[in-house]
Amino acid sequence: MKKQTLEDAFLQLETVIERLEAEDISLEDSFKAYSEGMELLQFCNASIDRVEKKVLKMNEDGELDEF
Amino acid sequence: MKNIYSVAQVNSYIRNMFTQDFMLQSIHVRGEVSNCKYHSSGHIYFTLKDEKGTIACVMFAGSRGGLGFRLQEGQQIVVGGNIDVYERDGKYQMYAKTIALDGIGYLYEKFEQLKAELSELGMFAEEYKQPIPKYIHRLGVVTAPTGAAVRDIIQIASRRNPYVQIILYPAIVQGKQAAASIINGIHALTVQDVDVIIVGRGGGSIEDLWAFNEREVAQAIFDCPIPVISAVGHETDTTIADFAADMRAPTPSAAAELAVCEFSRLEETMEEYATALYRSMNGKCNRCRLQVQRLAALLRMNSPIGKLQQRQTYLLRLEENMQAAMERKLRGRRHRLELYTEKLRGLSPLDKLSQGFSCVTDETGRTVTDIDQVEPGQLLTIHMKNGIVRARAEEKERVVR
Repeated sequence: MKKQTLEDAFLQLETVIERLEAEDISLEDSFKAYSEGMELLQFCNASIDRVEKKVLKMNEDGELDEF
Repeated sequence: MKNIYSVAQVNSYIRNMFTQDFMLQSIHVRGEVSNCKYHSSGHIYFTLKDEKGTIACVMFAGSRGGLGFRLQEGQQIVVGGNIDVYERDGKYQMYAKTIALDGIGYLYEKFEQLKAELSELGMFAEEYKQPIPKYIHRLGVVTAPTGAAVRDIIQIASRRNPYVQIILYPAIVQGKQAAASIINGIHALTVQDVDVIIVGRGGGSIEDLWAFNEREVAQAIFDCPIPVISAVGHETDTTIADFAADMRAPTPSAAAELAVCEFSRLEETMEEYATALYRSMNGKCNRCRLQVQRLAALLRMNSPIGKLQQRQTYLLRLEENMQAAMERKLRGRRHRLELYTEKLRGLSPLDKLSQGFSCVTDETGRTVTDIDQVEPGQLLTIHMKNGIVRARAEEKERVVR
């Protein structure tokens, strides 16, 4: 299975917001859409790793060392 | 006396020596073109020379497929073919099967040929290009571990997004081992679960960049399941790898920019989405609230209590109207009664009596109004205002009026 990417999530957020802004959406559906959007945002947040990375270099054995 | 040979025998003997020589049957010779003649038969005659010598060459019309360009004086070429003796003249010459430009010219030609061939195979076709993901976690880099290219990539990638993991495959990017090294790098990074691979090196001559024009490198890039950005040399350097890659970056720095999104921009994007989400939800709630208020007002307006009150008011008004009508009617009757009373009063016999008139009745109580009802001597009763008089008629006299 293809893992979900931020790009996918952003695309879905676009449609969620579009749905929310539609005139004829019911309140119930808009709550649904809103919580869906919040979940997507949470996913985005969770998928962003905020730890600074050292550059790794591959050695001859295919192992990774700090560069 | 030693044997004496004919010329033909000697030439034939020498020719035999040539043909038995393995090296001469398939040889590549480098030199400069001179005395080039395109014969009407389709054969090409020319002389290959260098600083120290010359050799006659011929390319027969049947071998012309081995020549991909117009042979001209002064060109540096590499001729592939065999060397044989032309017995009639007692001269040896080279029979060319392939002719390629040498040096830079040779490389350019090779480049063009491979480009045309791979393009024909569809390796550069748009439909095989994988999209470069916008937000990546792990970036693979195949390039030399020293030099400007790797420095630029790391610097720009880290500046844009310090949270992206860069994995460098230190490759040899120049010389004989370069192609194999680059291919190994692509393979090694493929199993490292990176999101994008940058393959490249800094600028250099066409010979320096040559590894990126090798068919095997192009194939490895094409086969790579992970999107590959090529970044070879400067903007003006174009290699086969660039065509085979999913995206071509003009320089290694540009490749880093293409591969790594700016983290601050990403955060902004997410905030924008959060805001948009909140705003649209809020807007929806507000719209609903307004609608509820509007409906409530409408409901209140149309509530049964309101109707009831309306009816009550109506009823009260009816009652009042009724009372007013009744009173009006009563007043009218009372008035008429008074009128009648007055009228009656005018008509009352008692009234008449009080004015001096009297009423006369006979013995039977019948009112006497005619002279013929009365006979002299008859007893009559005279009714007055305040009493009665019994009287006897004396005589009667008719009066004509």
